[in-house]
Amino acid sequence: MIYVENLRKEFKKTVKEPGIKGSIKSFFKPQKEIIEVVKDISFEAEEGEILGFIGPNGAGKSTVIKMLTGILTPTSGSCIINGQNPQKNRKQYVKEIGVVFGQRTQLWWDLPLTETYTVLKEIYEVEDSAFKKRMDFLNEVLELEDFIKSPIRTLSLGQRMRADIAASLLHSPKVLFLDEPTIGLDVVVKDNIRRAITKINAEENTTVVLTTHDLEDIELLSKRIVMIDKGSKVFDGKISDLKSKYGQMRELAFVSDNQNVFDILDYQSKFKISDDDLIAEKDGLSHKVRFNSDAVPVGDMLAYTLSKIDVKDINVKDADIEEIIRRLYKEGVSDE
Amino acid sequence: MFKELLRAVKMHRIFIIQELKRMMEYKGDFLTGVIGFLISQVFNILFLSIIFSQIPTLIGWTFEEVLFIYGFSLIPKAIDHMFFDNLWAMGHFLVRKGEFDKYLTRPINPMFHVMAEKFQVDAFGELLVGILLIASALPNLTVEWSFIKVLLVIVAMLFASFIYTGIKIGTSAIAFWTKRSGNITYMFYMVNDFVKYPVDIYNNVVRSVLTYIIPFAFTSYFPALYFLTGENPLFNIGMTALVSVIVMTIGILIWNRGVKVYESAGS
Amino acid sequence: MSRISKAGKKLRIYLPFVNAGVQEASTYRANWFFYILGDVIGCFVSFFVWEAVFISNGGESFMGFDKGDMVVYIFLTFLTNKLISGGGTYDIGEEVKDGTIAMRMIKPISYNSTFLFQELGNKLMEIGIIFIPLTAGVEVYRFILTDSLQFNAGRFFLYLFCCVFAYLINFFFNICFGFTAFIFKNLWGSNMLKNCIVGFLSGSVIPLAFFPDAMKNVLSLLPFASLSYTPVMVYMGIYSGSEMLFYIGLQIFWCLAFWLLSKLVWKAVVKHLCVQGG
Repeated sequence: MIYVENLRKEFKKTVKEPGIKGSIKSFFKPQKEIIEVVKDISFEAEEGEILGFIGPNGAGKSTVIKMLTGILTPTSGSCIINGQNPQKNRKQYVKEIGVVFGQRTQLWWDLPLTETYTVLKEIYEVEDSAFKKRMDFLNEVLELEDFIKSPIRTLSLGQRMRADIAASLLHSPKVLFLDEPTIGLDVVVKDNIRRAITKINAEENTTVVLTTHDLEDIELLSKRIVMIDKGSKVFDGKISDLKSKYGQMRELAFVSDNQNVFDILDYQSKFKISDDDLIAEKDGLSHKVRFNSDAVPVGDMLAYTLSKIDVKDINVKDADIEEIIRRLYKEGVSDE
Repeated sequence: MFKELLRAVKMHRIFIIQELKRMMEYKGDFLTGVIGFLISQVFNILFLSIIFSQIPTLIGWTFEEVLFIYGFSLIPKAIDHMFFDNLWAMGHFLVRKGEFDKYLTRPINPMFHVMAEKFQVDAFGELLVGILLIASALPNLTVEWSFIKVLLVIVAMLFASFIYTGIKIGTSAIAFWTKRSGNITYMFYMVNDFVKYPVDIYNNVVRSVLTYIIPFAFTSYFPALYFLTGENPLFNIGMTALVSVIVMTIGILIWNRGVKVYESAGS
Repeated sequence: MSRISKAGKKLRIYLPFVNAGVQEASTYRANWFFYILGDVIGCFVSFFVWEAVFISNGGESFMGFDKGDMVVYIFLTFLTNKLISGGGTYDIGEEVKDGTIAMRMIKPISYNSTFLFQELGNKLMEIGIIFIPLTAGVEVYRFILTDSLQFNAGRFFLYLFCCVFAYLINFFFNICFGFTAFIFKNLWGSNMLKNCIVGFLSGSVIPLAFFPDAMKNVLSLLPFASLSYTPVMVYMGIYSGSEMLFYIGLQIFWCLAFWLLSKLVWKAVVKHLCVQGG
């Protein structure tokens, strides 16, 4: 369904020295610099797949999405989605995709939602009967009834997001691009939106590409993720693979009323372990140690800790995906 | 081609209806714009009447003739202003803030989509003043009327309005490279102030610029001249149409090149 | 001494706003330049129309203005308007409309001053790039026309002095007006309405001298004449000594009046925001 090959994007940017002097200087003689935002990214996705696209701020996620949706022209490389090149057959291509940018609405600020949908119906040339059926379906999945008569500007963020997602699905697209669809929403609304995405994906076999900061989105929605950092792909695979590949991190949590617990324990010199492989945190009486179980076996860690201090309530957990990603990002950074 | 045009007209109608509905929400507010235009034109006319109270003619042009040309110049401008005003938003913020993204994800021509999205009621002020000026000047002018003449002038006005649209398309598309270009459009519109008056009151340099380089003279002076004198329709009207097509073509070419380098905002 | 350094410190916190103004101009350099160029072109339209008027009139003077006077009047009125104008109104209007005006309230510095200093940056660019060259151009033109140098340094400094007051009157007036965005939603329309009325009443469209005496006398007492008309008349040396004193006094009066009004309006706005929420 989606084939992306060696995608690259460069931007020219004016650089400016700080201060008034720099401003005046760049007024007369602007300095240009070329920045490579996306460097050689390739990946694929199958029909009906929900692909999670993640990475830290400024990693180039949005730029990739914008190239995939035909908004930006790649500097080099190619993407074929739904059998089409987004840049070449733009009009034909966008008829079969839906796009939502969580950060800003695509809808007309002052129009009531129903009117917006009527305009979009014309833009996408949806037949009357199909439109009615579609609206019923979207109403049911995204619960639009409560605010469908209100102008967009009066909607809450959660309502607006639902309205935007419904708008992107009006023409039954084969591929749906969601850029940060849960940003800034509360837990209940997030849940609502995730359920809607899952339902649409299940019922219509819509391929979904999803970028997010919220790792829960990924864990609940997608089986596969592509992670990028600084414009390069750093991981591509199943979430379970990610866990087993980078999942040697364990979290040891215990409660102790000893003073200066970590000074007494001094893991670093005991196990000759680097700061990357062991992070210790303290919050009142509860202590947390995240460590790499390849470097220090869990048994050794437990035995040593118990031998040194008095402990109430101790447990060891698998690191969650958040921890893995934090670690991956860190490796990405330390590559440079 | 014809089918596409039909669809464009249909889409435009839908946008206009929506815009009128929107305006009903802000009842009365849009009157500010209409009145603003009316008053600013009234002041300019007052200025002209003060001048003409001291001189019989302005380089051979009577007060009524000047009023006629002034009024004529407002009508094509108003037509463009009414239907394609949203192009200003391109140069001011659509490109800079990345809001142009949305147009690229829709299956209609993005240029048309931007142009047609807004219907500007403020332009009624211009249109009204234009018509009133022409109507008030006509009784004092000796003009030979004919059906063909009226038809040609109306056609010329439509072509003339496309000169504005073409210039707006071209200048707003510069924003694809510079992020902001609203003021380039603004600069062209200031040049346009020249053609409220008969262009042959100016020296050769100014006149040539207005005829050959930034051809605003074709939006008012030349077609109005044809109406007043009935002379030289081939140049006065024919060239208006030709210039309009040329300006529009250049505008669209710049736009099409620009869309390719569109960078959106953020990353 | 400590007072000076205190004042210096106080001013220093506004430095970033001056910088922001310069930066704004430099980031969108070309755009900024074209805006100015557009306005200069507008002046040339007036210039060429007047030239035609003088040719048609056949004489040296038109209602008491000779050609040199007219050129000075057109360009100096334009430059003075540029010098004393601020983007303030529109910005305040926008901020009122989208609610970001609340952000200005939480910053620990004076609301008015942040606008004022942001604009100072922009002004510096304008003075360097258009004011000096255009004024020089006008004086050269006058020199060629009359064969003698008409520029008077004393009057020029008095002119600048008047401009400061004109700027402040305009600034406070615009703040008052900007808050009308609470009422008018059509910013572009209401701004245009304001600009053309102010332009007319201040003599920028038609010199006040061209009006019938009774009307002229009323208009010259209104605050709008204090904006560009008074400074330009001072520059041209048309006022006598006592007239000059009177009109500068009038400027100071209007300056204080609008300052007070803007304070009152701002208080009302703060109250409104507190009740309604951003």
